[in-house]
Amino acid sequence: MTAPTAAVSADHEGLGSPRWGGFDPARTRGRGWTDLRRSFAVATRLGWQMEANWTDPLLFFIYSVAKPVASALILVVMLDVISGGAKPEYRAFVVVGSALWAFVLSGVSGLAWTILDDRERYRMLKYVYVSPSEFLAVLLGRGVARVGVGAVGAAITLAVGVVILGVPFDPGRIDWPLLAVVLVLGLVAVLAIGLLLASVCLQTRQESWSYPEAAGGALFLVSGVVFPLAVLPGPVQVLSLVTPLTWWIEGIRRALFPGGITAIGGQGAIFTQLTGAAGPTPAQIVVALLATGAVATLAAAAAFRASDRRAKDRGLLDQTTGS
Amino acid sequence: MSILRTTPKRPSVSGRNPFVYRPTASPQAAAEWTRRQIAMTNLRTVVGRAYPRVTGLFREKSWVFFEILLPFLSTSAFVFVYRALQAPPQYIGFVVLGGAMTAFWLNVIWMMAQQLWWEKSQGNLELYFAAPMHIMAVLFGMAFGGFVMSSTRAAAVLIIATAVYGVTFSVDQWALLIGVFLLTLAALYGLGMLLASLFLMWGREAWHLTQLLVEPVYFVSGLNFPIARLGVLGSVAISILPLAVGLDAMRQLAFAGAAYPIGTPSPLVEAAILVVMVVVFLVLSRWALAVLERRARQEGRLSVRWQ
Repeated sequence: MTAPTAAVSADHEGLGSPRWGGFDPARTRGRGWTDLRRSFAVATRLGWQMEANWTDPLLFFIYSVAKPVASALILVVMLDVISGGAKPEYRAFVVVGSALWAFVLSGVSGLAWTILDDRERYRMLKYVYVSPSEFLAVLLGRGVARVGVGAVGAAITLAVGVVILGVPFDPGRIDWPLLAVVLVLGLVAVLAIGLLLASVCLQTRQESWSYPEAAGGALFLVSGVVFPLAVLPGPVQVLSLVTPLTWWIEGIRRALFPGGITAIGGQGAIFTQLTGAAGPTPAQIVVALLATGAVATLAAAAAFRASDRRAKDRGLLDQTTGS
Repeated sequence: MSILRTTPKRPSVSGRNPFVYRPTASPQAAAEWTRRQIAMTNLRTVVGRAYPRVTGLFREKSWVFFEILLPFLSTSAFVFVYRALQAPPQYIGFVVLGGAMTAFWLNVIWMMAQQLWWEKSQGNLELYFAAPMHIMAVLFGMAFGGFVMSSTRAAAVLIIATAVYGVTFSVDQWALLIGVFLLTLAALYGLGMLLASLFLMWGREAWHLTQLLVEPVYFVSGLNFPIARLGVLGSVAISILPLAVGLDAMRQLAFAGAAYPIGTPSPLVEAAILVVMVVVFLVLSRWALAVLERRARQEGRLSVRWQ
């Protein structure tokens, strides 16, 4: 008769101790990149399931699109009330800005809501935290699912803008290399800001559901989303220029609508006063996005580490609150 | 010797048995409450449910930044849109007034409509139903606590933005303006109570419905522009959305004589619409709660979580 312990002998990848009976530290190291990738993939899939498995596709589509389209319509009506439809180029400006903002809000809120969802609603955060998966990889994976939903919403808002609201768009004029570069760099910057807010939500109570939206509202003011930065006071314009989202939105506008209104340059803009140019060139946009995005990413990583340490110190990982 | 004889006598407070409200001859008699007892218990429920919301304001200081400063900046973004378009100054006033009222709407959908569903997920809902109080008292408490929370945010946005952007109000009928404001709040929180029951039935979908009720409602309510611009859609919104009708009436009263497309009913008519909304929403919410409770008891769903 075979001994039952044979199934977990050290010859196999089981849970048993090594044959010599001691502790093998190699087993605690995991498989590095492979484990990280697997954690990220599983978290992304889980995030998507949690976002979308509760309803039929049509309903989910309506939910995903109604918000960004309504945001764009608010601005279009505001524009029409004042100009009476006399500024079609400005209509393109606000439609593109609000479409992209849907993507930003999804990315920013995705990571923060993951913390709140898992800690307050499902009460699984502590279990996820102590699992062998890298916590940051899980968090980013869950956030990516929401970014995907936001990207669909942004694309459809742009399509609504072109087809229904008459935004002039020529696919033949798209600057594809610029679009590809700014999309990737922008995604990193959006996730970095999301991570920063996740760090905040790790410290706060249940009501922080609205914090990402509130922070998004503040960034909306300084990122040149729906009006040129030149109308802002000088110090706020400087703040805008060190925000990666400003350069990201400018880059996408420039890639999709070459020759359109610039949010960064123009009469009264700090950028124009400093450089003498009417607007930034594509190369300047990429370099500025790279620099500001790197700073945001480093700041987010540092804030997350500090928040993580404090949460462990004060027992906030399994905190639940109510009001 | 029996156990009963060895059990020590229960301590009494002022000569009364501390485990019942008043000395009674039997458990049946203890269960018969006077109207005063019922009213007092429900009043205590309102205070008790409002308490964590009001106290929470003072316990977590971060809300000052996230709930007051950031929403002010968000409102400012729309002010700058109008400035970029060189719009007349009253439009900036519209944005400021709309920005202040969003505090109440967000509170209604996040902390009223979703709340019963959230309580179910937290495991509190069955306790509410099992306690000797009316569930409407819980909803009133939530509404009152939420109103206090939102008022601070709304007042801050209104005061700061008025000072920073130089908004000038022109009010001829203060009493009507205050009356419309209070009616708007009553109708909003009445709608919140109704949605709380409906969201509980809809379960997990409620979370996404909350998302759906932000920007689309802002749009059809004419948050940042005169609602008359929306034509038929605006008229429909005025007849069913307290935010739309209340905001339009308040704008007409706070910027009397301002030149902008009106085309909507007079403030007095809109106040009457709000009165109807208050009655309808409160009656419907009470009915919806009764239906929900019966269904939930029949189907055993009061304590089912995360669905």
